Amino acid sequence: MGHPQSLPLPATAGIERDRTVKVAFLTKLFGENKALDGVGFEAGRGELVVLLGRSGSGKSTLLRHLNGLEVPTSGQVQVLGEDLSSLTGSSLRRLRSRVGFIFQQFELVPSLTVLENVLTGSLAVVRGPRLGLFGYGKARRLTALEHLETVGLLQLAYQRADTLSGGQQQRVAIARALMQEPEILLADEPVASLDPESSDQVMNLIRDIARSKGLTVVCSLHQVDLALSWADRIVGLRHGKVVLNTLTENMTREEAMGIYGQVEVATITSEFQAIAEELDTPGHRERIARDLATAAATTRAGRKAP
Amino acid sequence: MTATALTPGPVRGIAAGAPKRKISPERISASITLVVILVIAIQALVAIDISIPKMFESMDNAERFFIRVGGVTFPPLGELLYLTALTVGLVLCGTLLAAVLSVPVAILSASNTTPGPAWRWAGRFVGVLTRAVPDVVLAMVFVLMFSLGALPGIMAIGIHSVGMISKMFADAIEQVDEGPRLAIRAAGGTKTQEFVSGIFPQVMPSWVATVLHRNDINLRGSVILGYVGIIGLGREMSYAFKAMDYSLGMGYAIVIFALCVLMEVVSSSVRSVMLGHAPTGRGMGDRLVRRFGKKSPRETMANAVGFASPAQALVRPWTNARRRNVVWGITSVLVVIGSVVISDIQWRDFITFWGKVPAIAVQFWPPTFGSYEYGTMLDAMWKTIAIALAATFLTLLGSVVIGSLAARNVAPNGFIRSASRFILVVIRGIPEVILAIMLIVVTGLGGQAGTLALAICGVGLLGKLIADSSEEVNPGPERALTATGATRLQVFAGATFPQGVQSLIGHTFYLLDTNVRAATILGIVGGGGIGYYLLNAGQGSKYGVVTAIVLMILATVLVVEGLAMWMRRVFR
Ligand SMILES: Nc1ncnc2c1ncn2[C@@H]1O[C@H](COP(=O)(O)OP(=O)(O)OP(=O)(O)O)[C@@H](O)[C@H]1O
Ligand SMILES: [Mg+2]
Repeated sequence: MGHPQSLPLPATAGIERDRTVKVAFLTKLFGENKALDGVGFEAGRGELVVLLGRSGSGKSTLLRHLNGLEVPTSGQVQVLGEDLSSLTGSSLRRLRSRVGFIFQQFELVPSLTVLENVLTGSLAVVRGPRLGLFGYGKARRLTALEHLETVGLLQLAYQRADTLSGGQQQRVAIARALMQEPEILLADEPVASLDPESSDQVMNLIRDIARSKGLTVVCSLHQVDLALSWADRIVGLRHGKVVLNTLTENMTREEAMGIYGQVEVATITSEFQAIAEELDTPGHRERIARDLATAAATTRAGRKAP
Repeated sequence: MTATALTPGPVRGIAAGAPKRKISPERISASITLVVILVIAIQALVAIDISIPKMFESMDNAERFFIRVGGVTFPPLGELLYLTALTVGLVLCGTLLAAVLSVPVAILSASNTTPGPAWRWAGRFVGVLTRAVPDVVLAMVFVLMFSLGALPGIMAIGIHSVGMISKMFADAIEQVDEGPRLAIRAAGGTKTQEFVSGIFPQVMPSWVATVLHRNDINLRGSVILGYVGIIGLGREMSYAFKAMDYSLGMGYAIVIFALCVLMEVVSSSVRSVMLGHAPTGRGMGDRLVRRFGKKSPRETMANAVGFASPAQALVRPWTNARRRNVVWGITSVLVVIGSVVISDIQWRDFITFWGKVPAIAVQFWPPTFGSYEYGTMLDAMWKTIAIALAATFLTLLGSVVIGSLAARNVAPNGFIRSASRFILVVIRGIPEVILAIMLIVVTGLGGQAGTLALAICGVGLLGKLIADSSEEVNPGPERALTATGATRLQVFAGATFPQGVQSLIGHTFYLLDTNVRAATILGIVGGGGIGYYLLNAGQGSKYGVVTAIVLMILATVLVVEGLAMWMRRVFR
């Protein structure tokens, strides 16, 4: 207060602190293949962002960048106020422990009990290797059991993880992530291996947790309808580029489907590329690039017309 | 034996479903090598001169032998029990030592856990080296360094077994699902935590199985350690034979045989309980367990437990599974403690040991053939190789017959199949050293007895592998041939066999590899070859000669192992 210049600062700082995930100009190359191409998006506390896009559009790659499992070719990734590229070793591990990750295939250790699996979520805090239930101490075991109660699986605490159904395993994985006391939850197609009923259960759980604990959730999905019913915001990816970034409430189903659109263009593009590779001379390349652009434009126009 | 020799040209066209390969130059040179080895093997067999009339002659020998010896005698029961416990305890300690040592070696050698390529090579090198040096040789060395007792035996078994156990451990590590490990990394876990919480729980069952399997092998092998002075049943048996007390020696041999079979049963049941599922193996032990073991009581569904709150759930309920695990856990701890106690380990030796190393190491260097002529030694080494080759060849012939008859898709009927499978199981139960000793004692022949013992015991392994892999061949070509009206034998020759030939070559070289080591060891009990000179040099304290012989064995084993690896790769 008082100082006129300082007035806007607290407000911006507040928003800044709220933006727990900030990605800008993120590009990732796997050899020649551009998996991500200048991606930029932000996510805030309590927000559930869903990534949509066709298979191979770069959803998993983007998520893996958000906790340092991949290193960007170029661009910035800022998570919880820290620039990921500046983190290594123990500082990177400390950041990862604040970010929960949920996988499509759950990735539980099959031969361990449910409770032991949940406890592995606290490994970053306990430091040093742990074997068996008792290595973690009573207080942690109690916390783990409480998280199991949250996901509704307290009764199965001492079952082997591989005796559970897919939906139950995914809930165990969520309890494991909760064990980290995360501020961000990343989920890579968490319901792709589940039936519709379990999918709803799991998505419901994720949203409730995000709301009640004020977590940021970034979640990739394949089903547009699920995304529309659970997401606060949808980020659409195509060929590694962001093609859509809109609040769900302002969005129609057609708009969301548009992310997947232009299948024909994609096919034509890859066909042209195949030809281009065969006739790989500089002159040819230029002409084909022009042809490609024209073809794409015509198809777009054709689709818009009716 | 070779793909080219045994696959008639026209059949290739019919067996269209069989995997097709391009004939590469490497494959051609491998095929030529195969033919050369085959010719040498046949020559070796001729040179060793196992003839049918001779075998009948020795049958007469056997009859006369048993009449002269007047049956079999056993030592007093108390002594027998003590010696048995001592032998088992010593072998168990050695195997456990190897299991512990193998963990770091395996972590270094597995591609997904190694810190770097240089470490990986170091790990593999340790594995190959420990596998290549026979445990008998290690025992000879350690007997000099430790006070007499169990320790030299434990150390010899412990170090030699690292080779096989670490290889199997590393294979298991490479086959794990990387997912759980990635989950731990994503949650901020360290590399150590990734291993302990993400990988170890996955590989544990196969490690237990490997260690138990190795324990069986070590128990069989412990017989031979007795010949270089390691305490236990083996040493008492060697004393008995040396004192020409054949009936007592035979008594010991029978006890050891029974012990080996018993151990197979025990380790199979331990495996099934620890792994929490019914035994699926086809070993004798597994069969017995399946027959007599009752089904594990149905797990009480945890739903029925009903925890009212997380605090209440802190106390883990005593389900049957947990009770069983605890009982087995305590039992195995007691067995391990019992083994250590009965082995009466002189722990002080571990301290005094280091002081003796330099003085003894000097005795082993430089390598020399001493008073032996080069020619004699090379001849002996060649004899060992010849025994291994001849035995492998005989095994191959026997196994193709018995193994094929034991395969579901080849056997003419169920009875012949079961009978063949049963014969294979019984043969696998026989410790080859014991068989060799019995043959040598009974027939008085050296190289022939050794060859025969190896050949017979090999059938147990190779026959089983052949049976299993012919049951796994693609049934398409078989059906195609049957549809054209081919006879059973034609189907076998035209479709089943050509498909199995690839894996047959791999398995045969694996057998040759183990046979070269085994042939060396058989020499120690009088089976002919280099082992005899090794024992002599050791007992005569000519350690330079021991070194020279060990280097020769090492070179041979490495060449054969390299050859085996090459063949397995080319004919995969
Ligand atoms: N480790 C890697 N090495 C090489 N290329 C990779 C790697 N990971 C991903 N890619 C490539 O990056 C692109 C994006 O892959 P990504 O897995 O992110 O897609 P996705 O949107 O998650 O697809 P899906 O819906 O099938 O899971 C693909 O072309 C893929 O082949
Ligand atoms: Mg993906």
